[in-house]
Amino acid sequence: MQYVIVGLGGQGILFTSRVLGHIAVSRGERVMGSEVHGMAQRGGSVISHFKVGPYESPLVLAGSADLLIAFDQGEGIRNLHFLREGAQAILNIHDPTALENPHLKKYAADRSLSIAGIPGYKILHEKMGGRFLFMNVLMLGAMCGINAGNVSIDEIREAVAKLAPEKHRADNLKAVDLGYGYFKGN
Amino acid sequence: MGNKVILLGNEAIARGIVEAGCEVASAYPGTPSSEILPAVARYADELGTRTAVEWAVNEKVAFEVAATASFTGKRTCAVMKQVGLNVAADPLMSVAHFDLAGGFLIVSADDPGPHSSQTEQDSRYFAMFAKVPCFDPASAQEAKDMVFDAFDLSEKYHMPVMLRPAVRVDHCRQDVELGEVKDLGRKADFKKDIRRWVCLPAHVRITHPQLNAKLDSVREDFETLYGRYNYEVPAKGRAALGIIASGVSFSIVMDLLKAWKREDISVLKIGTPHPLPVKMVEDFIARHENVLVLEETYPVIEMQLPDRTQLKGRWNGFVPRAGELLPEVIRDLILKALGEPLPVEGATELKAAIEELKVTPKPPMLCPGCPHRASFFAMRKALPNGIYPSDIGCYTLGVNQKDVDTTIDMGASLTSASGFYLAYRTDGKDQPVVATIGDSTFFHMGILGLVNAVYNRHAFVLAILDNRITAMTGGQSNPSIGDKLRKGDEGRQVDIEGVVRGCGVSFVKVVEPYDTKDSAEVFKEAWEHARTHREPSVVILRHPCMLLRQKQAVVKVRVNPDKCIGCKYCTNFFNCPGLPFDEAAKKAKIDERFCVQCGVCIQVCPHGAIEAVEGEEE
Repeated sequence: MQYVIVGLGGQGILFTSRVLGHIAVSRGERVMGSEVHGMAQRGGSVISHFKVGPYESPLVLAGSADLLIAFDQGEGIRNLHFLREGAQAILNIHDPTALENPHLKKYAADRSLSIAGIPGYKILHEKMGGRFLFMNVLMLGAMCGINAGNVSIDEIREAVAKLAPEKHRADNLKAVDLGYGYFKGN
Repeated sequence: MGNKVILLGNEAIARGIVEAGCEVASAYPGTPSSEILPAVARYADELGTRTAVEWAVNEKVAFEVAATASFTGKRTCAVMKQVGLNVAADPLMSVAHFDLAGGFLIVSADDPGPHSSQTEQDSRYFAMFAKVPCFDPASAQEAKDMVFDAFDLSEKYHMPVMLRPAVRVDHCRQDVELGEVKDLGRKADFKKDIRRWVCLPAHVRITHPQLNAKLDSVREDFETLYGRYNYEVPAKGRAALGIIASGVSFSIVMDLLKAWKREDISVLKIGTPHPLPVKMVEDFIARHENVLVLEETYPVIEMQLPDRTQLKGRWNGFVPRAGELLPEVIRDLILKALGEPLPVEGATELKAAIEELKVTPKPPMLCPGCPHRASFFAMRKALPNGIYPSDIGCYTLGVNQKDVDTTIDMGASLTSASGFYLAYRTDGKDQPVVATIGDSTFFHMGILGLVNAVYNRHAFVLAILDNRITAMTGGQSNPSIGDKLRKGDEGRQVDIEGVVRGCGVSFVKVVEPYDTKDSAEVFKEAWEHARTHREPSVVILRHPCMLLRQKQAVVKVRVNPDKCIGCKYCTNFFNCPGLPFDEAAKKAKIDERFCVQCGVCIQVCPHGAIEAVEGEEE
C-alpha cells in the first residue's frame, strides 16, 4: 500500500502518516516513508510519502500510489500523477467547480481514478469554530468515508485517540467523525 | 532486544549514538540534520546515560568541542548539515591527522535537491579531501547500525569517521530495532603528548604519512570485513546491466527491480564510499559490459576508480551532474542504460487541467503574524533606496517582500554590508545599507563581522531580528534564550545588546517590530547615526516567533472594499498568506484559513483599507 499525502506547510500532514504508521506497525507490517522538514515547511507545498509493506526506499514512484490524500485541492491536482491506474484520491476542496474541469475528468476516466472531494475548510469553519489544525484528522476520517486507505474507521479512531495529545483528544475524534460522516451520513 | 518502533532516520541515528556509549554530543541545527541532537538528549534522558548534549554556537565550535573531548578516551560526536561542515572544515582537516584516543564520529547530513540549503555539495567529497573514512547509509536502520561501526572503526585506527546520511535517510520514517546502551565505563584520562595533540608542522611530517597508512588499512577492511554494507545482489543468469549504487539510490533501485520483477540486472551496493573498496568495484565492473553508477551528489565512487571511462555515471554526464536522484530519474536512467523505451508521457490532459485551473506550486513564505515580515516592511519604509544584504534563516524569505538583495552563507549579512559600504565609499557616496540577521545566526557567525565593521568604521545599519528561537530548523534553543537540551541542565542567557555594545557599537536600540511606525523611525535614526559617525549602528527587533504560540493581542481585521483600490502594495511589500489578492474582485482580501489576527497589516495599507473589526479587539 503506497500513500502520497500533500498539502501546505503548517497543515499538520506529518501527523497523518504517524497515524497510518501506528496502525501498520500494530498489525505487524513494515513501514517506510519520507517527510519534509525545514524551509519548505513554511507554508509552501509539502509532500509526504508513506509505504506499508516490504519496501526498501521511502519515496513513491510516480504512477504507483494507491491513494492520494490532499489537504489542499491545488496540491492534490498537481500531484495526481503519483496515482496508479484505478487508484483513489481524497481532496480537501475549497472550489468544487475544479473537479468538474473536463481535462481533469478525462484524465481520471482514462485511468479509472476515483477522485472524491470534501469541503474541509467549510466543515471545520461551521463545526469546529474554524480551527483548521484539525484538517489532518478530518482527512483521515474522509479517507475511511470513501473506503480507501485499507484501514477501518475504528482503527483510525483508536490510533488518533492514542496519538493525539490528551487535551485535544475529544476534538480530534470529533473531526475524524466529521470527515467520515460527510460520506457515510450520520 | 528486538523491540521495533517507527523512527525518523535522524532519531535512529540519535538512538545509535546513545546506545554506542557516546558521552559528548555537540551540534548546530541545520536541515536535514536538526532532529538528531534533540533525540540524543531525549534518549539519554530516557536511558539514563550521562551523555553531555549541547547546541554549540556554530559547527566549528561543535566539532572542536566534541573532537577534543575524544582526546580523553571517551566516545564523542559532532553533528551538522553539509554546509555546516564547511564552517567546521578547518578543524576537520587538522583533526584527521591526529592519533585519537576515544572514538570520534562526525555526522554530516547532505541535502541533494537541495530542499533546504544553499548548495547540494557532497560531504563524502569532504571526507575524501580530509582523508577520513565515510559511511553512506541507505535506510534509517542501516544509519543506526553504521553508528556503531563508525565508532569501532574510529577506535581501531584512532581517526575521525564520518557518517553521511542524505536527506531521504534523515527524514525517512521506518520501523527500527532498538537496543541496549553499551556502558563502556570510561573515565576521562587525557594523556599529555605534544606530538599527538599539537599540530606543529614538524609533527605533520610524521602524521600525514601515518594518516595515509591508516587509510590504506581502512580500505583493506572495507574490501573484506564490511559485507553487511558492501555487497552484490546478483542477476539470475547473464546480467544485461550492472548497477553500482550507494545511499538511498540503492534502496530505490531495489524497489524498482522488485516492482518490475526483473532479474537480469545485478546491483553492487556500496555503503563505505570512502576509502572505496576499489578491488571489489573493479571486479564487479570487469564482470559487466554495461555499468551504471548511481550516487548522490558528486561522482565520489567514480573519482576513486583508476579507470572510469566506460562507466555510465555522473562523471561523464550520463547521470545528471546535479540534482536529486528521485525514483523517476533512476527509472529513466536504468531504462536508458538498457536501451529500452522510456514510459510514455501520457499526462497531457492533466497538464491542461493544471494550466486551466491555474494550479502552481506554492513557494515557502514567512508564517502569518511573523515579526520578520513587519521588520522588513518598516526597514523598506524607512530606507527605500537601501541595499539589503541578508542571512541564512527564515528571514531569507524576506526575498518575497523584495527586502533581501543578497545572501551568501551564515553571517554574510554583515560582511556583505561592509563590502557594499566600501564599494560605494570609494566613489564618495553614502549608500544606505541595512543588514538583516537572526538571533541564532548572529551568535553563529555574525559577531566577527560586527567587530570587523566597528574596527574598520563601516557605516551601515545592522537589524538583528530577535525572535527568541532558531526558527527555520524547527525551534532550537540558542544563547539568546539560554535553555539547554538535557533535563536538569541549566544554561545562561547571553544578552545580545551587551554583546553588541561590547563589540564597540554606540547606537543600539531595541524595538517592537509589530509597531512598524516606531521601528521605521528608529531605522532612519540608526542610518543617520551610522552615516554621520562612520560606524555601524544596531537595531534589535524583538518579538517571539509565531511557532512559540505565545499569547498576544488578537486584532480581527477586514479589507474595506470601498477603500481598497487594488494597488497590490500590501501583497508586494507585506506578502502575508492571510492577505492575498483576489484576482476576480481586483481587491485584497483576508483569508481566514491563514490569518492569525496579529493586526499588523492595518498599518500597511496606504489607503487605510485594512481596518480592525469593531468590538473584536481584545
